[in-house]
Amino acid sequence: MHEALLVAKREYLERIRSKAFLFMTIAFPLLISLMFGGSFLAAKLGGGAKHVAIASNDAAFAQSVAAELEQSKKGEGAKAGDKVEVVAPATAADRTKLNSEVDGKALDGYLWIETADGATPDASYVSRSSTDLFMASNLQDAVNRALTRRQLVKRGASPAEIEGLLKTVDVKSVQLKEGKLVKSDSMKSFLGAYVMIFLLYFTVVFYGMNVARSVVEEKTSRIFEVLLSTCRPESLMAGKLLGVGAAGLTQLGIWFAAALALTGSSLGAALGKDGLAAFGITGTQLAFFVVYFLLGFLFYSALAAGFGASVSTEQEIQQFSMIIVMPLLVGLILMTYILANPTALPVVLLSLFPPCTPVVMYLRISSQMPPWWQLALSVVLMVAFIWAALWVASKIYRVGILMYGKRATLPEMVRWMRYS
Amino acid sequence: MLVVELDRISKAYDQKIAVHNLSLKIEPGTMFGLLGPNGAGKTSSIRMMIGVTLPDSGAVTLFGTPFTRKALARVGYLPEERGLYKKMKVVDQLVFFGQLHGLDAATANTRGRQWAERLQIAEALDKKTEELSKGMQQKIQFIATLLHDPDLIIMDEPFSGLDPVNAILLQDTLIELKSKGKAILFSTHRMDQVEKLCDAISLVNRGTVVLSGTMREVKSRYERNRVVIEFEGDDSFLKHEAVAECKQYAGRAELKLKDGADAQALLREAAAKARIYKFELVEPSLEDIFIQTVGGKADA
Repeated sequence: MHEALLVAKREYLERIRSKAFLFMTIAFPLLISLMFGGSFLAAKLGGGAKHVAIASNDAAFAQSVAAELEQSKKGEGAKAGDKVEVVAPATAADRTKLNSEVDGKALDGYLWIETADGATPDASYVSRSSTDLFMASNLQDAVNRALTRRQLVKRGASPAEIEGLLKTVDVKSVQLKEGKLVKSDSMKSFLGAYVMIFLLYFTVVFYGMNVARSVVEEKTSRIFEVLLSTCRPESLMAGKLLGVGAAGLTQLGIWFAAALALTGSSLGAALGKDGLAAFGITGTQLAFFVVYFLLGFLFYSALAAGFGASVSTEQEIQQFSMIIVMPLLVGLILMTYILANPTALPVVLLSLFPPCTPVVMYLRISSQMPPWWQLALSVVLMVAFIWAALWVASKIYRVGILMYGKRATLPEMVRWMRYS
Repeated sequence: MLVVELDRISKAYDQKIAVHNLSLKIEPGTMFGLLGPNGAGKTSSIRMMIGVTLPDSGAVTLFGTPFTRKALARVGYLPEERGLYKKMKVVDQLVFFGQLHGLDAATANTRGRQWAERLQIAEALDKKTEELSKGMQQKIQFIATLLHDPDLIIMDEPFSGLDPVNAILLQDTLIELKSKGKAILFSTHRMDQVEKLCDAISLVNRGTVVLSGTMREVKSRYERNRVVIEFEGDDSFLKHEAVAECKQYAGRAELKLKDGADAQALLREAAAKARIYKFELVEPSLEDIFIQTVGGKADA
């Protein structure tokens, strides 16, 4: 045990002191804030002011749609520079002109509405970009509201009645958390879960691969030859996992401490009084984050250590890392589904399948606390898998670290396991 | 008490037999040469000696007791393939290796500095390994091997890559350690060094010992069947029936005699024909013995 601790200490100090660690500690939060802050900001700013035209054979209806659009401007996503122009009654010549204006970038797009008595109007939005979803949905709302307004006017409703009927209601989301009703912002909670899960995925993969890389490095530099004359291979591997894992925890600790300090500061107050809690992140969740980081790290780094010992070059690790992170990626890809359906059977099963557990179970926790027995079962299953992974890896490791040259094939690795 | 005793150890990897029934003994206060061509099983034997791998059969005894990992605190191993952490400060590395061998950090640090002083490499201590030359790295590794004052020192090709000045520096260090009663195992195929330094040898080929004993015993087992003659005049005596091979240079010839041939008869013949300045019966060099025993066929 003494030697494993010595090895762990060396691994830990080497990582903590490295420039890469410092860089990561600073760069990663920046990257995350750029990714999320950036997209948040972009949504706020939109693509700059929009200039659109409403063209219709029915001038009154076109005016009405334009008015609805102006009205919705007061809501989210609108900017001072937005301009709505009405072209009515529009002719085929107008349409040609509008087309050329859109083409010439004088207009961002135009809405072409054709109405006929008694029939539902036919509307289409013409623009250069096919993905301006925000504008498209605003226009859709405006057209529908204008249509409803017209129908109501036809039926003799008073302007006050119409305003009352067309009033929209914002649905606030409230979450029942540990028996208490908590006002939650589903967008912010989603963001919080997203950041955390990204962090979890990233740190598990990064530090897991770090183990594989450092095994290969020690192999190519032939340090094992010296180390093995005093250390058991098991101690070397255990020390490595301990040291690298501790470095990972340290980094997470720095990030969390910084996040807490930030939310407690005036800057945090400016961002939102509740700090981390506003993003749906509670102390319980942080605790589970650490638990699932450790479990995930141990499982994947044990595999990585075994694999690292069976190859001789860094390139081979790159290929391997793509394959090995698949189970974790599954959780990321299904994230929206898991957050929306945390108790669906496939999600529950996936969260209990150890290679997927860290990401999927953590996602479930951020959405809705799973029953305690499922949490316990997931931990037990993971520990069993970790134990098995360590056992296999240590067998491969003790033979592999002294084998140089070509990568070991699977049958070879099976034979290695019998040597020891 | 013997420092090392290997008793008929064997090791096979897959189909290849690396070591087969290999036995050897190393006395304290001696230098022992483990010789053999590449792939003969030298490194495999050393690995079993220090418990990196376990023999399939046979027994390893260190310091008079069957092998336990505890004995490794008294062993220093310099592998042929050297390894140091590239990004780590040299002195930190020495302390790390010292601690692995059971020293406390302060002692390891002090001893590391003393050794570095002695091997004239003190200026390297606060650098990172990657900033050092190959020869300097080798000296650092040499220190790491000796830091914990081991009673058994195992050196795999210790002088390869060193310039003559440094090679002699390390060589003198080893001789001094030997005089203090340490046992030193040399694994090499540099015969000239072995001949000069070693008290006893084992020659290994294809996983088995083909020749072993003290240097004297080994050499005396081979006949003095080489003759060097310096002469002037008639050289017809070089065709004497005792001569098996002859290399003739200006005024000088190197002969190999037939088995059981009478060197004295050759001398009489030569003296009768020519003026003899020198007639020497040379004992075979270790290199000759090596080539003769291994048969000149390198086992790749």
